[in-house]
Amino acid sequence: MLGTLGALGVAAASGVLAAPRPARAQPLGLNESVDVAMKRVFAGRPIRDGESLIKLDIPLIAENGAVVPVSVRVDSPMTPTSYVKHIYIVADKNRIPVVTRVTLTPAAGQAFVGANIRLGETGPVHAIVEQSDGTLWRSTREVKVTVGGCGG
Amino acid sequence: MSEIGKVRIRVPSSIKPGDVVQVRTLVIHPMERIERDAQGKIIPKTYNYIHKVVVTYLGKTIVTFDTTQSVSENPFFSFAFRATDPGPLKVEFLDTTGGRYEGAVDITFA
Repeated sequence: MLGTLGALGVAAASGVLAAPRPARAQPLGLNESVDVAMKRVFAGRPIRDGESLIKLDIPLIAENGAVVPVSVRVDSPMTPTSYVKHIYIVADKNRIPVVTRVTLTPAAGQAFVGANIRLGETGPVHAIVEQSDGTLWRSTREVKVTVGGCGG
Repeated sequence: MSEIGKVRIRVPSSIKPGDVVQVRTLVIHPMERIERDAQGKIIPKTYNYIHKVVVTYLGKTIVTFDTTQSVSENPFFSFAFRATDPGPLKVEFLDTTGGRYEGAVDITFA
């Protein structure tokens, strides 16, 4: 997974003339549709339903799309043999759908992350979890946004 | 905006050895959004936003956030770690203009 992203980073760096944005930001945050983003980041790997595994905490109605608190907690022993490697937060309707990718280590002790994110408009928000064995799990919440917060 | 880069870290007031501790951290940063001209085309420039957050404890990286412009202004993050030994917990924020903002707290056991 990381290898793929690294390769994309190199590709982006060499094609920097065509891309106005900084090369190192290319692999994750692109202005693209969510389908393209999912294909690019997860390379079409199957994502299983992880509603029971993942606790995604986000308001159902976000009055201010500029600051939406979200937290993700995953049931995981967090031992060196079985732990959560990555937590992705993806907002379908954002112009930059991939909000963040968190890389965890067993030293974290608990698969928990929180962040304040921007939401451009009403739409689903996903937490996608990659376990250390490479399996992907997804939990989704529909969030209503009263005032969008992404501007551009 | 002389405050840019001010890092705040909050840890619980009493920590016991072996506890899994939830930490909250924040940096003052504009997290510039994409700007468009009248035709709706993206204005090409280097947008200044945090693209990486690295958390280290006792010199070892425990959590890394790769972030995009979809993260709010003055980005706030929380995470957990297992407090095994007293020592420094460092959070480092990197932005796309080469800025590097660091905050640290000393983990001590009551």
